[in-house]
Amino acid sequence: MTAEIEIEVKNLDFYYSGDVMALQDISLPIYSHRVTALIGPSGCGKTTLLRCFNRMHDLYPHHRYDGQILFQGKDILQKDVDLINLRSRIGMVFQKPTPFPMSIAENIAYGLRLKGITNRGELIGRIEQALKHAALWNEVRDKLNASAYELSGGQQQRLVIARALAVEPEVLLFDEPTSALDPLSTAKIEELVVTLKKEISIIIVTHNMQQAARVSDMTGFLYLGELIEYGSTEKIFTNPDKKQTDDYITGRFG
Amino acid sequence: MQFSPSHYLGAGLLYSMNIERKRRIEGFIALMLSSFAALAGLFWLVFILGDVIIHGIGALNLNLFLHDPAPAGVAGGGLRHAFVGQLMITIFATLIGVPVGVLGGTFLAEYARRTGFARVISVLADIIVSVPSIVVGTFIYALLVRPLGHFSGWAGAVALSIIMIPVVLRTTEDMLSMVPWTLREAAFALGAPYYKVIVQIVYRGAATGILTGILLSIARVAGETAPLLFTSFNNNFFSWDMNRPIASLTVTIFQYAMGPYEDWHQQAWAAAFIVTLFILALTLLGRFILKWRFKQ
Repeated sequence: MTAEIEIEVKNLDFYYSGDVMALQDISLPIYSHRVTALIGPSGCGKTTLLRCFNRMHDLYPHHRYDGQILFQGKDILQKDVDLINLRSRIGMVFQKPTPFPMSIAENIAYGLRLKGITNRGELIGRIEQALKHAALWNEVRDKLNASAYELSGGQQQRLVIARALAVEPEVLLFDEPTSALDPLSTAKIEELVVTLKKEISIIIVTHNMQQAARVSDMTGFLYLGELIEYGSTEKIFTNPDKKQTDDYITGRFG
Repeated sequence: MQFSPSHYLGAGLLYSMNIERKRRIEGFIALMLSSFAALAGLFWLVFILGDVIIHGIGALNLNLFLHDPAPAGVAGGGLRHAFVGQLMITIFATLIGVPVGVLGGTFLAEYARRTGFARVISVLADIIVSVPSIVVGTFIYALLVRPLGHFSGWAGAVALSIIMIPVVLRTTEDMLSMVPWTLREAAFALGAPYYKVIVQIVYRGAATGILTGILLSIARVAGETAPLLFTSFNNNFFSWDMNRPIASLTVTIFQYAMGPYEDWHQQAWAAAFIVTLFILALTLLGRFILKWRFKQ
């Protein structure tokens, strides 16, 4: 399988608060229209790496990136990158559902308005489209004006995915999106992730190795801030090159 | 006599019974003392409120709202001038105090989050909340009344707003801090700039709490007399002019209650009743909003 490279990480180091090194010399390609899973034990840096792709770290002081992350050939770690534009192209879904304190429809309209879409007709159309996209439309079509907090946890998470999809990103980052959900909701989200890769590239951080095996095409294993091994999910889970990877996926540590 | 384990057991039982009895007595004393304290507090509260209600309702009549004061010693007349003055002072104090308080609280909770500077301001605001209001009155007297050479409604509004600001500021700060940080991150991740995140997401999440804080701060200043004595002073005539001394209910109550005429006393009771009612309504509304919010 050959695929285009959407994002290329080159020799990335990342430091929290000045000199605490969290990522060391990470290099990997993210292929477009593939699901890339980042796995590893707690504190290995997988979420830290994920949050480099949309420069989420920039919200906090004293961070430092070294190296490059090329997104469609352009380095997004440059100082002059427009973060607002970057984040509308690389969306993110968090561990806990984060619906905004407004109605279901308003939640989705929020991102669209940020993009400058204010035409009512277009908003309504895009809201419906996004909800269908996230497989939530049938459950909420009759209560679009109800508060988003009335939805269940799994529905809230799909609403958040719909909200991220509405602005038509090219890449979607998932940070342990099902760790707060029940098995049924988890299955729905996983199904959704697999469907979505037809249109966008996906990077997913997960604690759950079965999940990584189920949904991803490529897997990267991180340990203590380093990328130990990266390759096709099939290979990583059946015949990894490194002993550490083998130990982790067979449950010997982590 | 030999000591068997049962001896120890018996002694232990005796000991524990003593302890239990001692604790029961201590518990009883504590209950009695605190009940008595509560009753003593409640007694005066009910006494004062009851007195205000009984005298106030009896003194209420429509003329109170429609007429300005009659010449001293002449029966009749009303307090229209004081109602209007009080309303003007309170409204302008709110218009000055609420934006400053909300924006200041926003600065502390958002832009200066977790900095030493924010912590110092928070503590200072807490201290200012408990500064006697007469101090604020004299402060504004020195700042606005003396330099301008006369008392004015504006000075009164500014004095009240200074009492409001720390209350609104601290409530806003607390309420904004309660909005989970992940919600902000989610908005940032959609490409929202910080000011939009604050105005459109964080304020929405904290709106009912902030509104409650505002209502309670209005209730707090609506009953203030001391700061107005030094600032808006008083006026026996009807006036819209905030540049001149202006009447207020609280100062009027003070003046009329100290005055020699029975008619004044009656009107002071009525005014006290209405101020109390207004503050009660605001407080209840604030509590109702808060309850409604947390039920959601």
